[in-house]
Amino acid sequence: MTVFARSCRGILSLFAVLLTLGLVQAGQADEDRITGEAPGAFVVEDGKVDPDTYEGYIIYTRVCMACHGPDGLGSSFAPNLVRAVERRGWENFAGTIASGREVQPGQVMPSFADDPNVMGNIPKIFSYLRARGEGGLGRGRPKIIESMQEQDEESAEKGAEEEEKDEAAEEANAE
Amino acid sequence: MLRETGYVLAAMGLMAASVAHANQNQLELQQNPEYWATQLGNYQGNRFSELDQINRDNVGELRSVWQFSTGVLRGHEGGPLYVGDGRLYIHTPFPNKVFALDLEDEGRVVWSYEPDQDSRVIPVMCCDTVNRGLAYADGRLFLGQADNTLIALDAESGELLWEVSNGDHTVGETNTMSPLVVHDKVLMGISGGEYGIRGHMTAYDVETGEQVWRGYSTGPDDEVLIDPETTTMLGEPIGESDLGVSTWPEGEWERGGGAPWGWVTYDPELDLVYYGTGNPGTWNPEQRTKDGEPADNKWAITVFARDPNDGTVKWVYQKVPFDEWDYDGVNENQLIDIEYEGEQRKGLAIIDRTGFGFLLDRETGELLVAEKFAPETNWADDYDMETGRPNVNEQYSTYRQGVDVNTTDICPTAMGAKNMQPSAYSPRTGLIYAGINRICMNYEPFEAEYVAGQPYVGATLTMMPAPTQNGSMEGRMGSFIAWDPVAGETVWEVDERFAVWSGALATAGDLAFYGTLEGHVKAVDIETGEELWRFKTPSGIIGNVNTFMHEGKQYLGVLSGVGGWAGIGLAAGLENPEDGLGAVSAFSALGDYTKLGGVLTVFALPD
Repeated sequence: MTVFARSCRGILSLFAVLLTLGLVQAGQADEDRITGEAPGAFVVEDGKVDPDTYEGYIIYTRVCMACHGPDGLGSSFAPNLVRAVERRGWENFAGTIASGREVQPGQVMPSFADDPNVMGNIPKIFSYLRARGEGGLGRGRPKIIESMQEQDEESAEKGAEEEEKDEAAEEANAE
Repeated sequence: MLRETGYVLAAMGLMAASVAHANQNQLELQQNPEYWATQLGNYQGNRFSELDQINRDNVGELRSVWQFSTGVLRGHEGGPLYVGDGRLYIHTPFPNKVFALDLEDEGRVVWSYEPDQDSRVIPVMCCDTVNRGLAYADGRLFLGQADNTLIALDAESGELLWEVSNGDHTVGETNTMSPLVVHDKVLMGISGGEYGIRGHMTAYDVETGEQVWRGYSTGPDDEVLIDPETTTMLGEPIGESDLGVSTWPEGEWERGGGAPWGWVTYDPELDLVYYGTGNPGTWNPEQRTKDGEPADNKWAITVFARDPNDGTVKWVYQKVPFDEWDYDGVNENQLIDIEYEGEQRKGLAIIDRTGFGFLLDRETGELLVAEKFAPETNWADDYDMETGRPNVNEQYSTYRQGVDVNTTDICPTAMGAKNMQPSAYSPRTGLIYAGINRICMNYEPFEAEYVAGQPYVGATLTMMPAPTQNGSMEGRMGSFIAWDPVAGETVWEVDERFAVWSGALATAGDLAFYGTLEGHVKAVDIETGEELWRFKTPSGIIGNVNTFMHEGKQYLGVLSGVGGWAGIGLAAGLENPEDGLGAVSAFSALGDYTKLGGVLTVFALPD
């Protein structure tokens, strides 16, 4: 039951993200920072990144690397994603992860629609890959910018409290 | 005719005591040097051929007689089987097609078979959708599909005889290995060590596919099929019970990996099968400690000697207790009869993932030799021959360095100093021939959460070419070596630009063969390593070079088609540790040399 609930939430949040496509102004960009509400925001400072971009790296490594190679660079059978996100943009990127793509018989980009860990985190993966390209982030596992890590922990605590409230409300509704 | 009789007599001499055992049909086929009836050439895993029509003097004239495209991309491991019926039997990576090709008619398709598999298995295969090939016995072909279905096909018609499920890909279990037929059983392991699965070796009835026994790699003794009173470790009874549970933190053995996905070898005389188990669950060693101390995580990275009749474990040897580097212990156990300290011994030799060449007594499991075949190896200084344990070098201990700490310049890499590419052994020279990897790594463990069907890795790693010694090729990432398993010494080595990810072949024609990731098939002088011949196939080679004779003509067959972990890790080139962040790699990128595409190439001398 828990899994079902989680995957529902993952898919719903994707819909939410897709709905906002095109409605949000592109963020301001400088040489190592793209900010704003649109998916793909990142901060790169001295080879360190913001917590979301870092998490994008972790999810990339866990889920995407087995085919797309280390650091988004591609493998013998799956494309370089650092270049792909530059060329194809958010909509195509998120759509491909959700729906998959049959490149040719036997060569398949699978759909991750059933995987809440991926579906709930596509913007972070996107941020990581943009940081690798436009942000000039190097290869390997980045560190988190210390000041942003502290902020993130504080907001995560608040978020967890809110989530608990939400869940309590959901349970109340269900009853 | 005389020549053939000679071969048969020689083979019978070698195997005199064994005729009452094994799968009679498979044993007879592999005793005939004209055939290549099992992926490793024989039960002992020697990949040696008595054929000498192609030899040191004429190999320069070797040419391709025909090629066949499998129509499948991605990594082609394993190789063709020849059992004397004028056909070659080959397989492909996912979707695991099987082809019977007419050897005399330039590879015309006699029949083909394609399983119907859930494509969701593709993303849970850690290191490409490879498959290491078919097994054959008594007119049947056996294939372990990616989705864990083990099937038997009628070799004559390609008709499906039976199928059985060996695992569940929705929890990350998959299959890449080649089954092995022993007696009336087909043995099959499992993959998924990066998904927190619990590894096992299972025997199925050749006639019906019914499960006969299953021995797990972790857990209680009655499920591993260990008896602590009779199963030995380094020659002594294990003594303590349920080490497969007690050497793990609470419950972690249930996702403890130990996937046996490599090759299985068999000694018909001792009636024992041998195989190694993979890494213990998550790559983050911290999550496998017990009461804050390193724990052995048994029986991951362990050589198992089992009775093929009921799976009972005769002996175990754990090569790496408490793994900190993903040194999967699945490399093939070559069964070789050698002289050791003046005595004839039944040996078991391993060119291991760890960079060490081991020699054990295959009757008792006693450790005889453990020396580095890859001199850059630094995670351990040596092995304590009394305890059989490595003396781990603290500087390269990813556990001592800690979680979220990047431990740098560890050699070899998690790919191993040798991965699945099977080695060859020539009884004429007493040497092992192996393609190896010269790659090192930085390794940073992190806390991993277990979710069924999702990767359970817990470490990130970056790789770089191993440091070179005097005279070695600059930036080289692989070598082909001749190794003396008794002396524990490299006799000669040839450097290669990329890791040598193909299986080796040794022949009585004084030749050794191997393939390169750029796509060359090479023949070298077995005594010196001097290159005598090469042919460029259309794609990188991670398959094995096999040889056989049909109607008096010796052929060589090899699958090319780049992929595997090499195709993932090396495609974009490795990092240069001297470069700054974001710098362009100074080392060769495999993607600049070769692209995908499965092709079988068959070679022979001109008429």
